[in-house]
Amino acid sequence: MNMRPGGELATRPLHFIWMADCSGSMDVDGKIQSLNTAIKEAIPNMQAVADENPNAQVLVRAIKFSSGAQWHVSQPTEVSDFRWEDLTAEGVTDMGKALSMVADQLKIPPMTERALPPVLVLISDGQPTDDYASGLKALMDQPWGRKAVRIAIAIGEDADTEVLQKFIGNPELKPLQANNPEALVKYIKWVSTAVLKSASAPASQTSDSAAPGMNVPIPVLPDSGPTSADDVW
Amino acid sequence: MSKDKHTARWRVVGQSVRGATHERAGVTNQDAIHWLPESGTELPLILAVADGHGSRRSFRSETGARLAVETAAQVIRDFLRGQVEIENLSAIKRAAEEWLPVAVARRWLEAVTNHLAAHPLSADELKLVGADQPEASVQASQSNSQLAYGTTILVAAVTVDFILYLQLGDGEILIVADDGEVSSPLPKDQRLFANETTSLCSEDAWRDFRVCFQAVSNTPPALILLSTDGYPNSFRDESGFFKVGTDILEMIRAEGLDMVNDHLESWLRESTYAGSGDDVTLGLICSLDSIARQAMREIRTPTLQQAAEQGREFNQREDRDAPVEYDV
Repeated sequence: MNMRPGGELATRPLHFIWMADCSGSMDVDGKIQSLNTAIKEAIPNMQAVADENPNAQVLVRAIKFSSGAQWHVSQPTEVSDFRWEDLTAEGVTDMGKALSMVADQLKIPPMTERALPPVLVLISDGQPTDDYASGLKALMDQPWGRKAVRIAIAIGEDADTEVLQKFIGNPELKPLQANNPEALVKYIKWVSTAVLKSASAPASQTSDSAAPGMNVPIPVLPDSGPTSADDVW
Repeated sequence: MSKDKHTARWRVVGQSVRGATHERAGVTNQDAIHWLPESGTELPLILAVADGHGSRRSFRSETGARLAVETAAQVIRDFLRGQVEIENLSAIKRAAEEWLPVAVARRWLEAVTNHLAAHPLSADELKLVGADQPEASVQASQSNSQLAYGTTILVAAVTVDFILYLQLGDGEILIVADDGEVSSPLPKDQRLFANETTSLCSEDAWRDFRVCFQAVSNTPPALILLSTDGYPNSFRDESGFFKVGTDILEMIRAEGLDMVNDHLESWLRESTYAGSGDDVTLGLICSLDSIARQAMREIRTPTLQQAAEQGREFNQREDRDAPVEYDV
């Protein structure tokens, strides 16, 4: 009896979405270039993590927001095939538009119920210029939006950490403050390795014990270090 | 009550395999499976499967799952033995729905409490479940300690007169009718999403049970399947998982239950490796009468192809026009 009962077997998809602020201020002091470099350097790390757990199908996308929002990588792309084209910065900070576009993609369908919780990484250096609250509501109205692992990175002192905290939705997890290129590289590496690894093989959690956005255990945060002379943002 | 029901023959088989992810990480199988009676053939027949959470804070969930299947099977066996008014199905149904969830949850808690007394948590373990605060009451500390054993529980009990299904947390119970149609006896629980599950370790866990009571009709299910969520999560879609029910029934009819049982482990292993990576457990309760009925139908009713072949063979016989002689 060689036949196996049932239909097609499949690993569980894990959607990882970079949400990058490309407003004009990101062009100041090389922030956008640092972000491009940090994400490019993180790709091999993501691929290594994905290789370690073949039961999770890591699919990566990226959305950029400035004056409006646009998918930078629109198709969920196997991490082994993922390449990063440099972002450029200009315009304002329409974060709400990006949040609502991501919300559309987290609907079921196109998402499936059997997916692993998606990972959303929001990176911003400023204040939203559109109705971010509506975008955030649209995201949180989706079951996968509420259950996504939501990480935020604030670039520089001018970033609106209050808005980023609302995106995270859990007071126990703070936005990561990157005030220099090294810190940004460290945080990008952390989300693309430790967080991705945790999200790709999560254990069950009791529904009454999981804090909002914490249905996947968040690994120990990297040390941001004290404020230093290296801080340029 | 018909004579058929009293002579009904059922048999249970099952397997549990460690998930591919757990094998890579060196973690033990957190699922459990158990049935009563041990022979797996005499009514009432009770099958239980459980899925220990396996999270960092549920570090004793392998034990929690084992205690869950053992205690649930015992509670239900005792409940069934205690039913004196067996004709009064509505009274049994009400008792099953109202009393069993409370009893199953309470007996599991007692077993966990006993295990904790024999194997107290270390200081580090108490910290992990949040039971280390000096101001924590004894009750809160106990409640937090149960988290270490967190698990789901799924049970099916087949008796002469009715079949009972109970479920707390994720996993699937499927029934397959004589004609191969697959359905779920329990409603979906929308809270079971994104790795979150209701659990025996939760406060008032009995409230989260789903229970279904089915009187045995003239045609009871041919097959009942109980699985932990690692199995359905290994299929691309729900229809692919439901197909397991139809396929296994066909395989039992074609090759026998023993052959299916012999292959269960390899099927489940393939599923976790090519699918979810989670621990996978599948228990089957098979109506041997259904299998026998189908076999009889096939003997009596040749397929169209068989009939055509028989016709062709007859037409080719040289003596086809000779008179037929009968032994008297």
